[in-house]
Amino acid sequence: MDLIHPETKIDVVNAMRRASNDGVRVLIVGGRRHLDKGNPSDVDTELWTTQLDRVISYEPAEMIAVVEAGIRVGALSDLLAEGGQEWPVDAPRDATVGGVIAAGMSSPRRSRVGHVRDTVVEMEVVTGDGRLVRSGARTVKNVTGYDVHKLLVGSLGTLGVIVQVALKLRPLPAAGRSMTLAGGLDAGDAALDAVPNASSVISAPATTDVLLQGWPEEVADAEARLSSTAEIITARDADAFPVDEPWGDGRVVVEVAVPPSRLRDVVEPLGGGWHALVGVGIAWVGLSSADGELSGLRARVSSLGGIAPVIRGPGGLGPSPVPAVEVQRRIRSAFDPASVLAPGRGWV
Amino acid sequence: MADVERARRALLETLGPQRILTEPLALALYARDGSMVQGSAAVVALPTTVDELRTAVRIATRHGMSVVPRGSGTGLAGGATPVTDALVVATTKMNRILEVRPKDRLAWVEPGVINLDLANALRPYGFTFAPDPSSQQTSSIGGNVSTNAGGPHCLAYGVTSSHVLALDVVMPDGSLERFGSEAPETAGYDLRGVVVGSEGTLGVVAAICVRLTSLASDVRTMLLDFTTVEDCAATVSAIIAGGVVPAAVEMMDQGIVIAAENFAHAGYPVDAAAILIVEVDGEPPAVQAQARAVERAATAHGVRTIRVAEDDAERALLWKGRKSAFGAVAQIAPHYHLHDCVVPRTRLVEVLSGVYEICRRHELIVTNVFHAGDGNLHPLISFDLREPGTLERVLAASDEIVRLCVDAGGALSGEHGIGIEKRDFMPLVFSDEDLEAQACVRASFDPTGRMNPFKVLPDGARCGDHAAARGTEAAVVAASLPEGAWI
Repeated sequence: MDLIHPETKIDVVNAMRRASNDGVRVLIVGGRRHLDKGNPSDVDTELWTTQLDRVISYEPAEMIAVVEAGIRVGALSDLLAEGGQEWPVDAPRDATVGGVIAAGMSSPRRSRVGHVRDTVVEMEVVTGDGRLVRSGARTVKNVTGYDVHKLLVGSLGTLGVIVQVALKLRPLPAAGRSMTLAGGLDAGDAALDAVPNASSVISAPATTDVLLQGWPEEVADAEARLSSTAEIITARDADAFPVDEPWGDGRVVVEVAVPPSRLRDVVEPLGGGWHALVGVGIAWVGLSSADGELSGLRARVSSLGGIAPVIRGPGGLGPSPVPAVEVQRRIRSAFDPASVLAPGRGWV
Repeated sequence: MADVERARRALLETLGPQRILTEPLALALYARDGSMVQGSAAVVALPTTVDELRTAVRIATRHGMSVVPRGSGTGLAGGATPVTDALVVATTKMNRILEVRPKDRLAWVEPGVINLDLANALRPYGFTFAPDPSSQQTSSIGGNVSTNAGGPHCLAYGVTSSHVLALDVVMPDGSLERFGSEAPETAGYDLRGVVVGSEGTLGVVAAICVRLTSLASDVRTMLLDFTTVEDCAATVSAIIAGGVVPAAVEMMDQGIVIAAENFAHAGYPVDAAAILIVEVDGEPPAVQAQARAVERAATAHGVRTIRVAEDDAERALLWKGRKSAFGAVAQIAPHYHLHDCVVPRTRLVEVLSGVYEICRRHELIVTNVFHAGDGNLHPLISFDLREPGTLERVLAASDEIVRLCVDAGGALSGEHGIGIEKRDFMPLVFSDEDLEAQACVRASFDPTGRMNPFKVLPDGARCGDHAAARGTEAAVVAASLPEGAWI
């Protein structure tokens, strides 16, 4: 079946109506950055969102941008920078906003700026059977009905095509420094104690990267505090911080999520190849394959109360139990009654 | 139909008279919440444990009763008002802080824990629970979760949803589920995210895992006063556009300043057209930088004076006036109706002017205190119900205010919720398809429609096949709702 490459929301509505009527199974694709996350799915065609890339409105004094979801993260960042602001979600420039949201991507700065789900205040989504559904509002706070859009964050393209979002923004930090410290998790914990509002602290087996952001005096003060408590290997511009893909190499990358204090239990048995987001409870673990090593890691993570989906390479989401599975299935079938959206890809 | 008599007997036999209230006086007390909607409760349960809570829900739904969850009852939209044949489940006796785990930056609490009690308990650990609604001395965490509560400090720290990691929820059939987790990510759809703010319509929250926020090491609270409302509002936009996200930006107009000053004696300038309370926090260098930027923005927009709180006592005094404003208006008239709508913050001035004009036309006294940084207005209409015709004028003005906010690109509620009061306004902001999708989410949790029915969604909102379960019974009851119930 032909590729679907819609130019407008109405094109998406028509395409999904047809797909549902004809039983055509569809994989929703943005910048192809998060396609490895999810279980294998047999589909008949792809729906590309990349022509849905218009900016609907951006008013810096509102600190909200309304954009179509196929816009690239890089294009959005450039636009917002003109207003002195940012969408505080670090993703590759060629990823799409909709893709980042659908993947529920974990940003390295989430301990300070929050999760991507907290930035989406309004959403328009086209369901599997071609209904255009909006929820939320273009205001920074809102309790008006159910937050349907929360379900779409991390839904991996199984509930609908995200076509438009209103995003809560932040001011661009006026200053920033990227510090590399000697030492692994211990150094990471100590750094977070010294600078509790660091934007990101990522520990590897022998080094720890710390991103400091804020007002110039604030960053200088934090750098001084860090220098007096840690062994600094390098101190550079904030641009040097590895925000885009902080997990380094690895044919298979697993994104482990556990309670923050259990990170040590996850990474210590591993030789190397891990990066841990200190204070958050995320660890990116690189493996050479998705074979035995992966199931061992997953068993350990599961006993710690966490999950371990693969985000690059084969391996899928893993066998984690899902709460209220009947509720989840009913939601899925309400949004995609003909089961045409990436069957098998999601958690339920 | 519900077999209330059998349910009442089963509840009394299983949980005992300590936990189950059936006396007319008790039922009357639980027949309404902080709104003006009058309902009626058939039975009231006061569980002290999760097991008791599950038992109560199971017995009620098995006998066809609906279940209305209730925290401290401070809700302003009628969300905890029982409509018919309802078991009211008040979680006020489930009020223990279960554990505090600083290393994981989380705490588990029961739903009846009072918001301020939690903040006070976390302080020795160097943490706080960031949402701080004005009702924080009485409102419960369970209630905060149900309304996705805000408060002055959610401008910088985000609303309740950002501070809830996981929820244990008693489902309509009495089963217990955990949504979200102590880990930063969970398998499956974000059911936690839809339960927060669902006003007790998806299940009863039995325990909450809250995220801890580090206490700021320094804080500065400023009182800025202006001779025009326009300058005051323009300063808010200028502060934000200047790259500062203060911890709080609260605006009060002259009417409310006078009332609050009479009550709190905070030294508010009663001759000002409007004042701002701005609070910035963080590390000391960040506080200084933000304070300077705030002063620059205010000076550029004609601020008359800037008063900086010198110590904690003065800071508490400045906040006392703000947080007690709703009580202070009792001086103006015996009754009030507090609105809650949210608009893009750049349209605050025109919406405010519209609110004044509407109330002038209906010969009503209105004062305004609101979360200006969030665009969240709280126009407060004061009146005396004993004066004939007043209620009609208040209703008419309130209706116009809601429409004014929606026309300005706003939402129906910023933090109080929809409840009964605003459910019939939902079609103003959502299409039939939008509402159907919301109804489907609700029906996915509660296929038989027993959880807090007649709240949030208007009657027309149905989820395809799922709606059949409610059918005619719902329609009959809806027709019996009191006229003008929403005020």
